[in-house]
Amino acid sequence: MDDRSFVVAQSLVLETKKYWTTKLYPALKADYQRRAALQEDAPQTVQEVRDMIGGTLDYQIYAWLERHLQRFKYSGRYGLAPYHRERREELLAPLSDMADNPLLEVDPDFEQPKYYRAVDIHQHPGGVWSEDTAGFEYERGARSTTPMMGGKHRDLHQRFTDLVAEGGAPARILDMGCGFGKSTQPFYETFGEATIEAIDLSAPCVTYGAWAAGKAQVGNTRFRQMSAYETDYGNEEFDLVTSTMLIHELPPPQIHQMFDEAKRVLQPGGRMVHLDFHSLPDVFSRFIHYGHGRRNNEPFMEPWAEMDVVSVLQEKGFEDVTVQSFAEAEGVDAANSPVWRFPWTVVSAVKP
Amino acid sequence: MPAEQPDPARPEQIFMDDPAVDRVLGVVMALATEVYVLRDRLRTVERQLEAGGSLDRAALDREPTLEELAVDGDDREAFVAGLMQNLQGLQVSKGAAQGRERNG
Repeated sequence: MDDRSFVVAQSLVLETKKYWTTKLYPALKADYQRRAALQEDAPQTVQEVRDMIGGTLDYQIYAWLERHLQRFKYSGRYGLAPYHRERREELLAPLSDMADNPLLEVDPDFEQPKYYRAVDIHQHPGGVWSEDTAGFEYERGARSTTPMMGGKHRDLHQRFTDLVAEGGAPARILDMGCGFGKSTQPFYETFGEATIEAIDLSAPCVTYGAWAAGKAQVGNTRFRQMSAYETDYGNEEFDLVTSTMLIHELPPPQIHQMFDEAKRVLQPGGRMVHLDFHSLPDVFSRFIHYGHGRRNNEPFMEPWAEMDVVSVLQEKGFEDVTVQSFAEAEGVDAANSPVWRFPWTVVSAVKP
Repeated sequence: MPAEQPDPARPEQIFMDDPAVDRVLGVVMALATEVYVLRDRLRTVERQLEAGGSLDRAALDREPTLEELAVDGDDREAFVAGLMQNLQGLQVSKGAAQGRERNG
């Protein structure tokens, strides 16, 4: 396919997603509120919300569009996957000497966990790891993950980094589940004096991250193919462990392991700060978010959102545990957004 | 697994009361995308021709004359017939009197 048709078709998908975000979601929410107000007792559980609106035509159309707009984004004639795979040789040519790059460490014998291989997350054909073009595909796709943010999507990561910076400048940072380096970039730009280790299961993603960092002449960050819950770092090596949109991709046992691993590699007094989806103010938000998880091929979204993370972290011996809604852009009403949005949340804790 | 080789063991999610509607909506979205890609291409061609002096924008956009409408009349009629005859549910070749395909 030609470049122009790809971009135009993708822009149509994004425009349709904006309509879904700003028109269909508010209409669905208003319909739910109207129905709930007519009942003596408003729904108290996700199942009760599902019983109330799950079978309505408006919800069916809403759900169909959420599922299939994402499918059109990645697959089909103008999808991210075929577009990039057609251009495989051209895209990978600049990465041909990455094997010798000191910013990158990829393990050719790395065995992906079963849960990671079982589902193509985000409806990304082959997942974010199995094709060598996957880093390019994920990078392009992430430019429109949050439809209302458009070109400002980078702001989200910078705002999170700024929040972390309010607690002081870390000297040794571990960025878990760094993907293609989008979350890592504001960290290496903001904390130029720090040493940063960015790890991810996906070889194409860490390769892309190291390549992009190299182009930006970054020297303080290493990208390594590694599991967040099973690293090879020594005890107390870092004063900051962070992740962005990692936790909801992990099954609950691996979430526990990841928190344990973060505690092990943190120095006493070191901080753990994660940006993810967690704070859901009401049962309607939960119903919508759990459906999103199913439709976006993210099976652990729901168990993670149901986890009592404060108790979990306190039981593991963390202190100053906080779980707070995070406004991804200026002026966002995180508690009662009139338009669809991710339930961005910062989970923070300190190792005593 | 590439999109071109879907796994039959993993059927697509169904949202509508009649799964046929799920599939038809997919066709509609795919066609809408093609229409939009074509619109963009046509607009781009027009802009390029106009910039090169090969297209008179005002002449292209003005209301067609009755004569011009008449010239395209047969084409318009055939287009509408091809679209609308599908709504009549009539067989165009002689077959069984009962039109509904039965299971089994």
